Amino acid sequence: MSDQELKEPNQFSRREFITGVGGMGIGAIFAGSLARMLLLPDDVLAIPASSGYLLVDTKKCAGCTSCMLACSMTHHGQSNLSLSRIQVTQDPFGKFPDDIGIAQCRQCPYPSCVEACPTGAMHADEKTGVRTVDVSKCIGCERCVNACPFTPGRALWNFEEKHAQKCDLCLNTPHWNHEGGPEGVRACESVCPMHAISFTTQIPVQSDEGYNVDLRTGTPWTQIKFDGAVGATGVAGSGLKK
Amino acid sequence: MERQLLFSTSAWLVWLAPFAGIFAAGLTRRREPVIEGDRVLRHDVAARVEHWTHGIGTAVLLVSGITLGLRFTPSLLRDSDAAITWMNVHFVAVISFLFGTFYYAANTLLSWHRFGEHLPTKHAFSFTVQHYGRLLGFKFEMPPEAKYFESEKMAYVMALGASALVVVTGLLKVSAHVATVPAWIMGPATWTHDIATVLMLAFFLAHVFFAAIAPMAWPVLPSMFHGYVSAEHAEEEHAGWYAQLTGKPTSVTPISDDKADAA
Repeated sequence: MSDQELKEPNQFSRREFITGVGGMGIGAIFAGSLARMLLLPDDVLAIPASSGYLLVDTKKCAGCTSCMLACSMTHHGQSNLSLSRIQVTQDPFGKFPDDIGIAQCRQCPYPSCVEACPTGAMHADEKTGVRTVDVSKCIGCERCVNACPFTPGRALWNFEEKHAQKCDLCLNTPHWNHEGGPEGVRACESVCPMHAISFTTQIPVQSDEGYNVDLRTGTPWTQIKFDGAVGATGVAGSGLKK
Repeated sequence: MERQLLFSTSAWLVWLAPFAGIFAAGLTRRREPVIEGDRVLRHDVAARVEHWTHGIGTAVLLVSGITLGLRFTPSLLRDSDAAITWMNVHFVAVISFLFGTFYYAANTLLSWHRFGEHLPTKHAFSFTVQHYGRLLGFKFEMPPEAKYFESEKMAYVMALGASALVVVTGLLKVSAHVATVPAWIMGPATWTHDIATVLMLAFFLAHVFFAAIAPMAWPVLPSMFHGYVSAEHAEEEHAGWYAQLTGKPTSVTPISDDKADAA
């Protein structure tokens, strides 16, 4: 059937209709691109701040890795230190206080991992702002792992389930019967026997010192029978002699 | 400088390609098959553009898609730089594939009878067995072949279904680069994309074998480049189609659903 036969008076022919659809689509895309270019400033990346941050005191940390085990257990149901989203590093040749480091995600205000993710898998949680991974969207390109400016990286590769992962402040802990996240409790913070991990809702100063704080001040040394420490009132060694 | 993913920076091209294909079809004037001396026009320029943009796009999509899919065991990608490179290769192939596919779809809407030429008859399977049985020396009586063999028509339906699945799920995956697509959509879309890829791979390998590697395809293969087959070949291999072009009655009617019922 020819175009002429298809064409009713005052109506488009099939060819005219198809050409029009194609032309309008092309026009709409160019117009949209132009509007976006003119109306939106360059390099705008609006990501809400996280509503919580982990703080650590490496001088208090004993390197027991309880936090790592707790992280792995609560998130994955496995006692696998390599699956932990918080990493304790120890330097056997280092001297106190540089012999232990705690690599916790800083929930950066300008998260490179989120910006680098091509699929939106690494994102800021809508409700809490916590930077976390939507596993179903992760394509395994590891751009987030490379994008994290810290060493060791806080965006990690889950080598068992083959996707990126990072600290979500325990928002999603399927193997833990507690409410996690900024408004709940964090497994690493809960289990640390040295109380070397803490939590704040205030954005820390963006430096190493901003996240590595003094959690010792105010420690009830006398109650824990640790004589001789700063703030202790007893006589050094008296606890042992008694 | 950090390398960019074209799916993120130039996603608009992915949306442009289908409309460019539709628009181009609107401007295209097709030529119907015609006998010109000792040769027959089998594929006009539009058919060849459709075929090669879709076909080359498909080939590169399969290679890059499988490379990206085999990320882990075995791993074909060394690191994230390699992943970005192959994602960008995939992107370029997507543009070609989408243009070719939508150019074909719009052209088909404009000349609907071409779609009918590709659809298998009710007896597609038995005629396919007979067709290849005859090549092996068995004696079968069957109607003269039309422009496309029944086996090609069955493969066409499979390719059509696989292409539709790849396009729909692929566009959803591209959308995830520029907008928030819910995980309950992305999960099934990813799996469907993978399954459609396997179907497409099966079709592609069979198509390349029967249309280019097998010696019986060699006489007709050049027509995919210059458009023509020899009249002798058309009369011998596609007698039903040739008879339609000449307008002369044949001793045996060509294959169509109605005629196949009678056969």
